[in-house]
Amino acid sequence: MDKFRMIFQFLQSNQESFMNGICGIMALASAQIYSAFDFSCPCLPGYNLAYSGGILLVPPLVLFLLGLVMNNNVSMLAEEWKRPIGQRRKDPAVLRYMFCSMAQRALIAPVVWVAVTLLDGKCFLCAFCTAVPVATLGNSSQVPSLAQQETARLLARIPCQEIYDGEWLIAREVAVRYLRCISQALGWTFVLLTTLLAFIVRAVRPCFTQAAFLKSKYWSHYIDIERKLFDETCTEHAKAFAKVCIQQFFEAMNHDLTLGHSHPKPTKASAEGAEEERGKLHGITDQGTMNQLLKSWHNCKPPLRLDQEEPLLENGWAGGVPGPGPAPILRKEVATYFSKV
Amino acid sequence: MDKFRTIFQYFQSSSESIMNGICLILAVATVKIYSSFDFNCPCLPRYNALYGLGLMFTPPVALFLCGLIANRQSVVLIEEWRRPTGRRKKDPGIVKYLCSSVLQRALAAPVVWILLALLDGKCFICAFSSSVDPKKFSDFANMTASDVQLFLTKVPCKDDELVKDNPARKAVSRYLRCLSQAIGWSIMLMLIVMAFLARSLQPCFDQTRLVQRRYWSNYIDLEQKLFDETCCEHARDFAHKCVLHFFDSMRSEMKARGLAATRQDGVIPWDSAAEAEGQEREEGKKDLLRGIANQKQVNQLLTTWYRSKPPLDITQALQPPPGEGGGSLSHRGTSCPPATRFSQHTDV
Repeated sequence: MDKFRMIFQFLQSNQESFMNGICGIMALASAQIYSAFDFSCPCLPGYNLAYSGGILLVPPLVLFLLGLVMNNNVSMLAEEWKRPIGQRRKDPAVLRYMFCSMAQRALIAPVVWVAVTLLDGKCFLCAFCTAVPVATLGNSSQVPSLAQQETARLLARIPCQEIYDGEWLIAREVAVRYLRCISQALGWTFVLLTTLLAFIVRAVRPCFTQAAFLKSKYWSHYIDIERKLFDETCTEHAKAFAKVCIQQFFEAMNHDLTLGHSHPKPTKASAEGAEEERGKLHGITDQGTMNQLLKSWHNCKPPLRLDQEEPLLENGWAGGVPGPGPAPILRKEVATYFSKV
Repeated sequence: MDKFRTIFQYFQSSSESIMNGICLILAVATVKIYSSFDFNCPCLPRYNALYGLGLMFTPPVALFLCGLIANRQSVVLIEEWRRPTGRRKKDPGIVKYLCSSVLQRALAAPVVWILLALLDGKCFICAFSSSVDPKKFSDFANMTASDVQLFLTKVPCKDDELVKDNPARKAVSRYLRCLSQAIGWSIMLMLIVMAFLARSLQPCFDQTRLVQRRYWSNYIDLEQKLFDETCCEHARDFAHKCVLHFFDSMRSEMKARGLAATRQDGVIPWDSAAEAEGQEREEGKKDLLRGIANQKQVNQLLTTWYRSKPPLDITQALQPPPGEGGGSLSHRGTSCPPATRFSQHTDV
């Protein structure tokens, strides 16, 4: 547990390293999902290509979208893009930076999936088994005598060892080796091109736009922090608001009770600790009153206004004993508006 | 747990250690990728050599590029190389030192792959089975040239019908594997001897320059990291003040608008002195409301935050407040570009 917490803390210490962590996890998950997935070629002429194409292209798309979704910054980018200009100009370079950094991270898991799929070879084998050059690899003498559809039907069964019945036309092993070889060559080429592209993007950037890059990085980080701090400030505000609101409600109830039932005022407790505890009760000290208060809280929440007095009846009973009428009583608890900036 | 933390701290203490760590991880990943990769020689005339040699050299290139990408120092190197001279002279020796250190670390994973491929032997057998001289083996005496070629092409595939359980295949395969392993071990020995010589003969050369270059390249790296961290702290501080300033300005604006409304109801306005006196006890707790105290005000604050974010200029917030009503609305007019604000805070 401690170990996980430490790793978590380390990753969270820096937003970028946190995102890199998520990225790495998704890449590993992608490889794991592929190895756990049970590939099952249909071995039918029209369906092979569709199935394999689907396996090759749909999961990467899903992984890409998942990568974007798991990135907190997507909503930040959308917000920054769509906000009205107001008093703060919009900088397209910052938007571009945010989009590029998110897209780069989200692309890693799909690239891993495509690379693993090609290097494994089953998908390619399934897709292109009908395109094997029988003339060069197999029994070329039999080729002209067969109808195209029949050839396609035979070749489509190559990926399925149990039902393949075309050994006389082309040895299954030969075809499988040929297609897997091409698939693996494509896979490694794909990996090489992707790493080359990544290297060029990373290495060439400092040669050209370093100053602009530093600016965009700073301001995109700023926007992120500002949003978080605003949310935190709003949460603090909401807490304080709720606290005062509830306090006022309790006091209003207490006051209503004092007026309605003429309860004797609670005597001052001798010890200070007891006084504090009594204070927390706000004068509500029996079950019936508490129930009434709770019912009132549910049926008639106080208005969202802390700055002015309300006629007491607004906070009062729902169909219970009517109060003695609104009396202008000074509230003790009102929010102060001093700021310590 | 403590051990883990110590290891973590050790790796984080110096960027060199981090780079070494990444290098090691990449080497281990190479071994894992090689062992999980399903080698599949095509056993076809021209394809064998392409496949075998391609598999021997393409992954190392990709791993080399990965090693460069994963190494932070490569970016530092290029930045240092391309920066304008400005007020700090450029020392080509530092760039050379960084370059050699980056290349050495990036070459580790490719070398591991090539050595694995050679010691394992499959790539070599696949690539060179067709080039074997058939005269070395007595089994081929009775076969025609084209048959021999076909046979040799199929040697890497143990289960192929033509060569299954054939002693000639095993002989050729053993021969090629032996050659491949010999080359592999020779390369490993050569590399280790070179590394040993380089390490032990180093003190014979000019040490001072090396020490200086190592120091300054480490310095550049740390300076860049510290700059990034300082920028992060600055952004946090900036954002904090900006948000607080926004709340204050909303409060002042609402107060200016709200005074007129509240007077009609005959209720006590916000800044009544009588109230203020009684509130000192609660001041610490109530501070957080910052003058926004009803639903409409909160909604207005949130809408304004979305519609019209405050300008990136907190000069007003940092100055001592002139008075309650005075400077509250004047900030709306200013909209300095962000760059000027940033430049004032770079004195670290």
